[in-house]
Amino acid sequence: MTEKKNSSKKIIVGMAVLVVLVAAFAIIFSVFRAKPVEGSKSITIEVVDKEQKSSVYDLKTDVEYLREAMEEAEGLEFSGTESEYGLMVETVNGITADYNVDGAYWAFFVNGDYCNYGIDTQPVTDGDAFKIVYTVNSEE
Amino acid sequence: MKNRSRVIKSTLDITLIGLMVAVIEASKIALLGLPNIELTTFWIIMFTMFFGSKIMFVIPVFILLEGCMFGFGLWWVMYLYVWPCLALLAWSCRRQESVWFWSVLSALFGLFFGFFCAIPYVVIGAADGGIKNGLYAGFTWWVAGIPFDLSHCGGNFVLMLILYHPVRIVMRRARTMLYT
Repeated sequence: MTEKKNSSKKIIVGMAVLVVLVAAFAIIFSVFRAKPVEGSKSITIEVVDKEQKSSVYDLKTDVEYLREAMEEAEGLEFSGTESEYGLMVETVNGITADYNVDGAYWAFFVNGDYCNYGIDTQPVTDGDAFKIVYTVNSEE
Repeated sequence: MKNRSRVIKSTLDITLIGLMVAVIEASKIALLGLPNIELTTFWIIMFTMFFGSKIMFVIPVFILLEGCMFGFGLWWVMYLYVWPCLALLAWSCRRQESVWFWSVLSALFGLFFGFFCAIPYVVIGAADGGIKNGLYAGFTWWVAGIPFDLSHCGGNFVLMLILYHPVRIVMRRARTMLYT
């Protein structure tokens, strides 16, 4: 009887810990996540294609996320497949990267670092330099 | 005769290991469209509880299969330690029978999944620019994925809560049929 009581107590404590942790994670996310900046922002988007040829697009924009900025960039064309994580970019400026054929994909960088978000949720802040690079996974 | 029974037992074991991998893989593919809602955690816990050490063969085969199907990227390195850690955790708690206990454990595993998976980013970042850079890289990567960890946590909790009792009954029966 006492053992059963102890066990239910432990489960209640476990549930309480879980709820506290979920709340803590939500707070950490809302405090530390990369936030978009509203207002006029000056950014560059550089596309490096299969032949290492670079095209740079400078734009002044008010958009919050990279996808919208890419849509605003004149001359930059892109397409892909919509997924639960947003648009998975497959074609940029007419060049398609097909991972299933040769391990190729379009890698996204922001200020020299790999983007941690998909283009639909990658925030845009003033002065950001985005790079979209045709990359081949050599292991494929 | 003794030899024959050992062969039959090992054939049975191999078949069972194959079946367990197939169940995990089929469930995973069936739920691919839902972000971080998966049954891999549930099956690894249940298989560890009921078939003990056989999970040591199931997990490597499952991880290898995943790599062959989806490519050997950085996520694959994470799989190498995340799933064995779960099996170890489940094995150490195998005497627990409460559905609430297993639901909370599954939920915690889902919640911390991104945290554990950030380890390779810490290592890569540290190799590139020192430990501070590594911790920053790991932290930003983990924070970016917290919404997915929260859905992973909720999904694991609900799935374990719903499936634990019915699957437990079936698996208990299966174990008795196969090994007695």
